[in-house]
Amino acid sequence: MNKTLQRKPARVEGPWAPYAPDDKAPWDLRRVVHLHRRGGFAATWAELQRDLKDGPKASLDRVLEGKARSEGVPENFEATARLLADAAAGSRDPARLKAWWVYRMLFGPDALTERLVLMWHNHFATSNLKVNDLSAMRRQNEIFREHARAPFAKLLNATVRDPALLLWLDAQVNRKGHPNENLGRELMELFTLGIGHYTEKDVKEAARALTGWTVVDEAFTDVPVRHDDGEKTILGRQGHWKGADLVKLLLEHPATANRLAFRLCELFMGEGTVDAAAVKALADGLRERDLDIGWAVGTMLRSRAFFAEANLGRRVVGPVEYVIGSARALELFEPPSSTLVLAEWMARLGQDLFYPPNVGGWPGGRTWLTTRALIGRANCAAALVDGARVGRPGPMDALALARRHGHGKDGADLITFCTKLLVGVEPSVAWRERLDKALGKEAAGADGARKAVALVLAMPEAQLA
Amino acid sequence: MLSRRDFLKSSTLIALAPTVPGFLARTARAAAPQRDGRVLVVLQLDGGNDGINTVVPFNDEGYAKYRKTLRLAKERLVKADGKVGLHPSLGEFGKLLEKGQLAVVQGVGYPNPNRSHFESMKIWHSARLDPEERTGLGWLGRALDEGPRISDGSSASLLIGGGPPPPAIRGRRAVASALERPEEFALDAGADPRRAIGKDDPADDLSAFVRRSMLDAYGTADRLAQISRAKDDGARYPGSELGNRLQLVARLLKAGLGTRVFYTLQGGYDTHSAQIFTHSNLLFDMNSAVKAFLDDMAASKLADRVTVLMFSEFGRTVKENGSAGTDHGTSGPVFLAGAPVKGGVVGTAQSLLDLDPKHGDLRVGIDFRRIYAAVLEDWLGLPAKTALGGTFERLPLFRA
Repeated sequence: MNKTLQRKPARVEGPWAPYAPDDKAPWDLRRVVHLHRRGGFAATWAELQRDLKDGPKASLDRVLEGKARSEGVPENFEATARLLADAAAGSRDPARLKAWWVYRMLFGPDALTERLVLMWHNHFATSNLKVNDLSAMRRQNEIFREHARAPFAKLLNATVRDPALLLWLDAQVNRKGHPNENLGRELMELFTLGIGHYTEKDVKEAARALTGWTVVDEAFTDVPVRHDDGEKTILGRQGHWKGADLVKLLLEHPATANRLAFRLCELFMGEGTVDAAAVKALADGLRERDLDIGWAVGTMLRSRAFFAEANLGRRVVGPVEYVIGSARALELFEPPSSTLVLAEWMARLGQDLFYPPNVGGWPGGRTWLTTRALIGRANCAAALVDGARVGRPGPMDALALARRHGHGKDGADLITFCTKLLVGVEPSVAWRERLDKALGKEAAGADGARKAVALVLAMPEAQLA
Repeated sequence: MLSRRDFLKSSTLIALAPTVPGFLARTARAAAPQRDGRVLVVLQLDGGNDGINTVVPFNDEGYAKYRKTLRLAKERLVKADGKVGLHPSLGEFGKLLEKGQLAVVQGVGYPNPNRSHFESMKIWHSARLDPEERTGLGWLGRALDEGPRISDGSSASLLIGGGPPPPAIRGRRAVASALERPEEFALDAGADPRRAIGKDDPADDLSAFVRRSMLDAYGTADRLAQISRAKDDGARYPGSELGNRLQLVARLLKAGLGTRVFYTLQGGYDTHSAQIFTHSNLLFDMNSAVKAFLDDMAASKLADRVTVLMFSEFGRTVKENGSAGTDHGTSGPVFLAGAPVKGGVVGTAQSLLDLDPKHGDLRVGIDFRRIYAAVLEDWLGLPAKTALGGTFERLPLFRA
């Protein structure tokens, strides 16, 4: 361990080496759309055109600095978001807390950070169903945001010493002589090492080390009289371990970097697009850099692998991405959709914010595409353009949107605009035929234009990013 | 448009079988019902059902002694066995009993009964007596954690009704969800998205998966719409909330959803006053809704795949109170209905004269976890030990 710490981290080679456009992977609209759909929540036409013109470096800098959004970000965003959070946390209505987060994702300047917050919400999957405390859920969400790209030690230490996670995993009943394994097990299995890197004995000993950590008056408290100070052997190391020692042992364990690399690949990379060697290279890089998540995020988004042909359109779009991304790309800013209703749509599509299905989080990937969720996506697409069903006063003017951006002179032109905006490509002949058949001669009119947008959003191609 | 039937006939489907959504693959292979095709419907009778007036010990002298205004006349009872009769509202349950499709398990409970609705329900849901072991997970959720993945990607368990999934079906991994609005399975889009799926079968597996899942989803929506228009194969559901909920379960099963546990509630059993009329209505509703559901299953050739478990968090006091009602009690009956069930009256009626001296109410005859163990192992084919936190002798409740 010490040896690697002393060594200067090696330059990144292989799949994570920086991307430079070439004939095989040109900087085209498809890659710009790809960058925003994976590293944010899609983008507007103007943002896409800007990035297409400015090239990869400027575009990636903007995404990583949280400045990629040039439209639909209210001037007083942070102040409004804070007001919404305070009001939601002070209410007894979880819908308001969901709406607050949706507001942040939809209107905040930094889409990438919100994507990472969502990743951590899934990693440390905590449900208000059991926590039943909106202030605690909000606080945990803010911790995820604050440390979203920090070295992992900061995030882990803050999260495991915070009431939401402790209540969720029964820390308050884990005390000397009465160990409860819940927190210890999930710390190892889900938050750090991953299954197969510890034994059942380790779980029991970890539970003992964690005794004393509890919640008193809505705050994390370490109560010495509840702590089992006896000797424990954890991961082959002996000592009078306390909770803090356990966290340190887990952070030092090589498997933790592997698990983080897996999580990040799950977020940014398509299904089957990274091999074991690439994951290992990423994990090695993380280990050499104190598990610096920010480094990994930057390296991945700037990488050859990220922009490789094989990585395009290879990841199933999750419900939150689907809803926010569609609303962003379609510029449904003024008047805005109801964030309460958008959160309900996400729940219907299978991702109820602050209520992950269990401690393992949302399984994601192909499992998003259940019968109910796919019917829901088609209905959601129709609702977004219809307006009333997402809390907007009237239907969206899809034709005006296309014309504003130099498209929409006829039905074919409108369809071209939709597929380029939403998926980043011109429709293939077969694809255009399908849309023409579904729309009939309607596409040219205002109503037909709306239907075309909804149809493109419901197509198989739009479920992948 | 490619209909579901055309799709099922297509040879590519068979060729791609390993990656095809499970339900479609099963249908395509026309496989016989598999073990993981077995479904449990749980009906929670909320509030504490008066077991004494549900399965009535008419021969017990204590019945006349303690039940003055609430006593049901022996001749009105539905025949069960020589010692007990069913409430007059349970006529259909009587017929099921005669057909051997209803098990009436008497005197079910757990040691040291807790008379708080909340605490007792937690015990039934978690199958854990020690409060510290109740961590929000339930007996079915834990068991489903150990089972195979749900073949068509549906959630393993589904609450039919409002609110979040109840603890009983929550697991560490198995997904539980809730469905209140059947419209969530209805396509409500402007232009028909079915036409936009496309027939071109792309070479890559992921895109093909998305297309197939869409075909499957829209096919299910179509089937559900058809099923909803049809007359439920002659089944006559009561127009009650419970009737609607069981009807929805039936429709989802007929449409081929892979969910293994459906959970639903019937509220109102907390009959502290003027019990006789309320209780009678509730039981009649349950009786009619479950009967319609089982008829519907039989007509749809699904009878062999489904059983219904009915339980309440506790029975009620032996002695009626001063307002023609009863208060929170101890043990009570559990029902299990369906063609696969080994019918009959199980266990013995707990005496109304020889009460448990600790609390002055009915003794517990059968530990509820023996029923759970049977349901998990003998019906759902799931291991019971971890789910129940111990080994419990399985009651023989299913046909071999």
